[in-house]
Amino acid sequence: MHHEIVSKEELLAKNEKAVPIRQLSPFVLEIDHVSVCFDGFYALTNVHTKVKRNDIHFFIGPNGAGKTTLLDIICSKTKPTSGSVIFHPMYKEPVTLTGMKEYKIVWLGIGRKFQVPSVFINLTVEENMILSLKKGKRIMDTILRKPKKEEMDHIEETLQKVGLADKRNWRAGSLAHGEKQWLEIAMQLVQKPEVIMLDEPAAGMGKPETFKTGEILKEIKKECTVIVIEHDMDFVKQIADKVTVLHEGKILMEGSVTEVLADPTVQKVYLGRGGE
Amino acid sequence: MKALKLFERHGSNVTFGIIVFILAMMPVLLMLGVVSGGSTILFLGKCISFAIVAIGIDLIWGYTGILSLGHGLYFALGGYAMAMYLKMQATGGQITDFMHIGGLTELPFAWKIFTLSPGSLLFVVIAPAVVAWIVGYFIFKNRVKGVYFSIISQALTWAACSLFIAMSPYTNGNVGITEIKSIFGSIKGSANQGNMFLLFYAALLTLVAIYALSKFLVERKFGRVLIAIRDGENRTYFSGYPVSRYKTFIYVLSAAFAGIAGAIFVNFNGCITPSQMTITYSIGMVIWVAIGGRGTIIGAVIGAFFINICEYNLSSGSTVEVWQYIIGVLFCVTILFFKGGIVGLVQDKAPKFIAKIRAGKVKA
Repeated sequence: MHHEIVSKEELLAKNEKAVPIRQLSPFVLEIDHVSVCFDGFYALTNVHTKVKRNDIHFFIGPNGAGKTTLLDIICSKTKPTSGSVIFHPMYKEPVTLTGMKEYKIVWLGIGRKFQVPSVFINLTVEENMILSLKKGKRIMDTILRKPKKEEMDHIEETLQKVGLADKRNWRAGSLAHGEKQWLEIAMQLVQKPEVIMLDEPAAGMGKPETFKTGEILKEIKKECTVIVIEHDMDFVKQIADKVTVLHEGKILMEGSVTEVLADPTVQKVYLGRGGE
Repeated sequence: MKALKLFERHGSNVTFGIIVFILAMMPVLLMLGVVSGGSTILFLGKCISFAIVAIGIDLIWGYTGILSLGHGLYFALGGYAMAMYLKMQATGGQITDFMHIGGLTELPFAWKIFTLSPGSLLFVVIAPAVVAWIVGYFIFKNRVKGVYFSIISQALTWAACSLFIAMSPYTNGNVGITEIKSIFGSIKGSANQGNMFLLFYAALLTLVAIYALSKFLVERKFGRVLIAIRDGENRTYFSGYPVSRYKTFIYVLSAAFAGIAGAIFVNFNGCITPSQMTITYSIGMVIWVAIGGRGTIIGAVIGAFFINICEYNLSSGSTVEVWQYIIGVLFCVTILFFKGGIVGLVQDKAPKFIAKIRAGKVKA
C-alpha cells in the first residue's frame, strides 16, 4: 500500500483545492447481485463479487458461463435486468456504473480489451496510441489540441513496456496477431486506467507469447487492477491473484488458484472437460 | 527531382493546385479566344459546386464510413434558399406569379425571411445544417448504422422531394424556381461576361476554402478519430470517444457543404427544381466520390470533375442513352476491382513509376 499513499500525497500537492481523503476501499469494483435476462434466458443469475485493488482477478468457466456478459455489464455495453456495478475510484466518491454511457466509463478510468484484437488497422501504432490517450476526447480537442510532450513520452514508455517501440510507425494492420493484442493492451494502459479488463488476451498465442503477455500483466498490476477472462490454465497459474469460476451464469466458487484447482466441483464442471 | 519529391509528399495538394490553376486560367483562355463559348464557364462553375458536395460526401463516407444516399436533399435545400433569396431581390419582395396561381394572396413566411437582408443568405448553410442535425442526432444516438442509415437517408430525400412537388404554391412544384439572376447580376450574354467571371472566381475561391478546411480537419487527430469510427466503431466507443456526437458533427458539416454547393449551383444554373432532390441525383454524387477515390478529399474533387466532364462531352447525340450504362459499369468496376478509385490507382502505381524515373536518371 505504500506507493499508493505517496502518489496520493503527490496528487494533493499538485491540487490546491485539497480533496478530502476518503477511507480508501480495498475493493475497486463491486458487482452487486447482477442478473441479466435475454428473452427469458438468464445469462447471469445473482452474481455478487468484489474485485480487489491491484489484483489480477480471473474469471474462468466453460463457454456460455457468462464471462463476456459480465464484462459487458461492467462497461455498460449491456444493461443488467437487476443489480448494479459500483466503482470505487482512488481519489473520488464511489460511482454506480450501471446505466452510464460507455465513453464516460472510459473517462472514469475503466478500460476494456475485446476478445478479437480490435486495433485501428489503417492507422499507425503511434496513431493508435495517440487516439487512446486519456485527454482530448471531445471534438474541439481533437481538432485544436496536439498531444503534449509528456503524453508522447508516456506513449513511448508504454510501447517499450509491451515491446512495440521499434514498430511505432508500422500500420497496425500489418502487425502479427500477438503484437496486435499487445498493442491493444498498451492502448488501454496509456489511458492510465484504474481497472483494465481483458477478454482472452492470450487467445491464439503460442506458449512463449502467452508467457510474455503474463509478464506484461504482472508489470501492469503495479499501477492498476486487471480483470482477465482466459481459458489457458497455465496462464492462470502464472499470474492469477484471485479466480472466480462461473458456471451457467452463476458463481460456482471463488478463491486463490490453488483453492480453485483443488475443488472437486470445479474439476467436474470445467477442468475435467477440455483436458486443459 | 525536386518536383518528384514534392509530388511524393504532397501529391494531393499539388494535384489540387493544378486543378485550381487550370480552372483559374479558363476565363483568360476564353478572352484570348483559345476556348470558345461562354457555356464552358457555366458548366465548369457547376462542376465546382459538384466538387464541393463531393468533398462533403467524402468526409462522411470515405472517412467516417457512413453511406448517405440522400445528400441531394441538402444540396437542394441550399439551392432553394439561394434561389428564394435571389428571387426576392429581383422582385423586391413582391409575391410571385406561381404563388398567385396557387391561390396565395400574401407572401408566405418562409419567403419573407429572404426579403430582409443579405444576412438571410446564411440560410444556405443553416437550413441544411439544422435538418441534418435533427436527422443525425436521433439516428446516430440510437446507433442506427450501415445499410439502415443509407435507406433512411434515401427515404427522407424521397419524402422531401414529394413535399416540395406537392407544396406547389410555395415552391412552384415540379417546375421549381426559374429565371434567377446570379448574385452578381445577370450572367447571360457577352455583355455580362464580367459578372460571370466574378461569379466563377467566387465559386473557385469557395472550393479552395472548403478543400483547405477539410484537409485541415482530416489531418488533425479529428481525422484519425473519423477513420477509427469507420474501422472499429465499438473500439472507438471504448477508447472514450462520444462516437454519435462525432458522427452528427461530420454529418452536419457535410450537409452544410452540400448546401453551399447547391447555392453555387443555382447561380450558374439559373434555376432549381426538385429533380436536384431526387435519389438518382444523390446516388450520382456518391458515384463521383467512389470513382475519384474515397477517403482522400482530392479524390472527391477529381471524381466530380472527371465524371461530369465525361457526361458533358458524351451525353449528347447518339451516346445520350448509353451514358447511363457506361457510368453504371464504371461504378461496378471501381467497387469490384479498384476500391481506391482513380487516386488509389495512382497511389498504387506512382511509387514504382517514380522509382523507374529515378533509376533512369541515375544511369543517365
